[in-house]
Amino acid sequence: MSGYSTTRTRPTATLTESITAPGGGRRPKRPYDTDVTRLLPRWLLVTVIAVIVAFIAVPVLYIVFGSVNSDVAVARGEYFPSEFTLANYADIWSTVALGQGLVNSILTAGAVAVCSAALAVSTAYVLVRFRFLGRLTFLRGLLALQSIPGTLLLLPVFVVFANIASATGVQIIGTRWGLFVTYLTFALPFSTWVMVTYLRGLPKELEEAARIDGASSTGILMKIVLPLSWPGIVVSAIFAFLLGWNDVLFSTIMTTPNTRTVAVVLQVLGTTQEGGAVPIYGQMMAASIVCALPVVALYLVFQRYLVGGLTAGSVK
Amino acid sequence: MTTTQTKPSTRRPDGHQPVRPHGTTPLYKRERPLWMLLPGGLLMLAIIVVPLLVGFFIAMLDLDQYTLRQWFSAPFVGFANFTEAVTNSPLLHSIWISVSLAVLVTAVTVPIGVAAAISTQNRFRGRGLVRSVYLIPYVLPAFVVGTFFRTMLQPQGVVNSVLHTDVLWLNGSASYWALAGVMVWTSWPFVYLLSLAGLQAVDLEVHEAASLDGATWWIKLRDVVFPYLRGPLSLAVIIAILHNINNFTLPFVLFGIPLPSSVEVMPVLTYIASFQSFRFGLSAAMAICSLVIVAIPLFVYLRAVQLDTGDDAGPNRKQRRADRAVLAAPAAADVEGARA
Repeated sequence: MSGYSTTRTRPTATLTESITAPGGGRRPKRPYDTDVTRLLPRWLLVTVIAVIVAFIAVPVLYIVFGSVNSDVAVARGEYFPSEFTLANYADIWSTVALGQGLVNSILTAGAVAVCSAALAVSTAYVLVRFRFLGRLTFLRGLLALQSIPGTLLLLPVFVVFANIASATGVQIIGTRWGLFVTYLTFALPFSTWVMVTYLRGLPKELEEAARIDGASSTGILMKIVLPLSWPGIVVSAIFAFLLGWNDVLFSTIMTTPNTRTVAVVLQVLGTTQEGGAVPIYGQMMAASIVCALPVVALYLVFQRYLVGGLTAGSVK
Repeated sequence: MTTTQTKPSTRRPDGHQPVRPHGTTPLYKRERPLWMLLPGGLLMLAIIVVPLLVGFFIAMLDLDQYTLRQWFSAPFVGFANFTEAVTNSPLLHSIWISVSLAVLVTAVTVPIGVAAAISTQNRFRGRGLVRSVYLIPYVLPAFVVGTFFRTMLQPQGVVNSVLHTDVLWLNGSASYWALAGVMVWTSWPFVYLLSLAGLQAVDLEVHEAASLDGATWWIKLRDVVFPYLRGPLSLAVIIAILHNINNFTLPFVLFGIPLPSSVEVMPVLTYIASFQSFRFGLSAAMAICSLVIVAIPLFVYLRAVQLDTGDDAGPNRKQRRADRAVLAAPAAADVEGARA
């Protein structure tokens, strides 16, 4: 890859330098470092960035300020806190079962992430490297299934689970297992598609060499494909995790107070207290930050992979 | 003579396939571990395909909470649920709200996303930070976004106190604009990401040609850069409309149940029909009607994505490029899906 890009950019870089920097002769510039690609005049660039950053920052800072403010002050409509308190962060754990919710969410979404990545990589390996009847139908199905709205499936899944329970006596609705199986299935079409596109980019030669040396298909998957495809696996695992963490639709219906995910706990915090004298807005803001932190941390750590996974060479 | 008659089968007429020793099968047919498809395939069959069919069946039953566990024996009413959904329920009203919201929100997010992408194309001090900040609205879970906007939009809340207004954002007709605003806030970075990818496709030579010709920045944007963005942007628009129509979490968290009637969107209406009024059959019929609406952008999207890239014969350069163009689409789609 690096060899490809240097051979391609070297002539254009020198051309660019001869235009922008007649003195030339310094280190070769990368494309998009140069003035030639500049699209906006400086004043407009600064304005655009300032407006967009403010557009984002005003609500985001509001959560932060609200979380260290008193409930009454937030309810009054204060933006900047008049008194600073960390009590909200201490109180949320006893007001609702936020800790239990976090545990449930991490267990469910974490298990979904691991299992869906494992299933996705093996399924994608077969889809990419072998030909069989129904292969194209399978690929088409992956795309179609991930576009079916969840609201359409909520009721039928509920009915199917309820019937399994009455037929076999195994309760599914209300358990972490039920949520796990549901999220895992909904994560699979997309996770598999991510791995399909990733594996297509891997060179076949290593696998062919291993096959000549007598490796089986399973051996090739474990020893060649798996170690090479960690970036793809990370992306598909994180997206599966987010699906479980962010879901509200299924978790409001399919959980009991003991198995509630953190998304439902936050709804409980927001709705049950509003009948009282003063809504606990300060605590809601603190709990919101606690709910968002794991996700934001994941994005920051894996930002490069994730943005790449979203747009990887999308156009060119 | 006999040898020449058995040999030709090893060489393909198009000559792409190298001559193989007689009797060997090609790699892609040898020892296929097809069993690896089973776990994932069975799961998707059991939790997506079967419930989908069950859903179609339920839509023709008069099903309530008492008959739910023996749903096979619930009275069969044919298309009565569909007739009721169309003639005697808020369905048409909510289809109008969902579709108009989706189109409006998508139309507003496109210029914001394009401007954001253009503003971070060139290197400057702090660009990495700006790019991370741009992704914040996208990264925050929708249920968190709904929660804090709900607080901000309270009658005594910060929005009204800053603007010195007295608008009821969470009730009545203003709630439509509140929901539209919040949807814009969370969804524009998706357009930004796809535009960024589109901008990177503009060749350096094109930039150089434009500046040699002395194009001003606006002319350059309009005539040189925007044409490059048409492809990624139309993809972004389709996917964004699809997911704006399907957005359940944001209206559900922002307004709570029951919704004000001016934001009674399709997904929440379906949810209320099943789990608040327990009209399961009617709800399934509504869900199928909404699937028909969603099917239009969905069909365009599926047509735009190329399934197979002919990796059997070793993809050529053109195929590889098409392959990579496919990559962005479903990936982007499902991040939205995970949030909705």
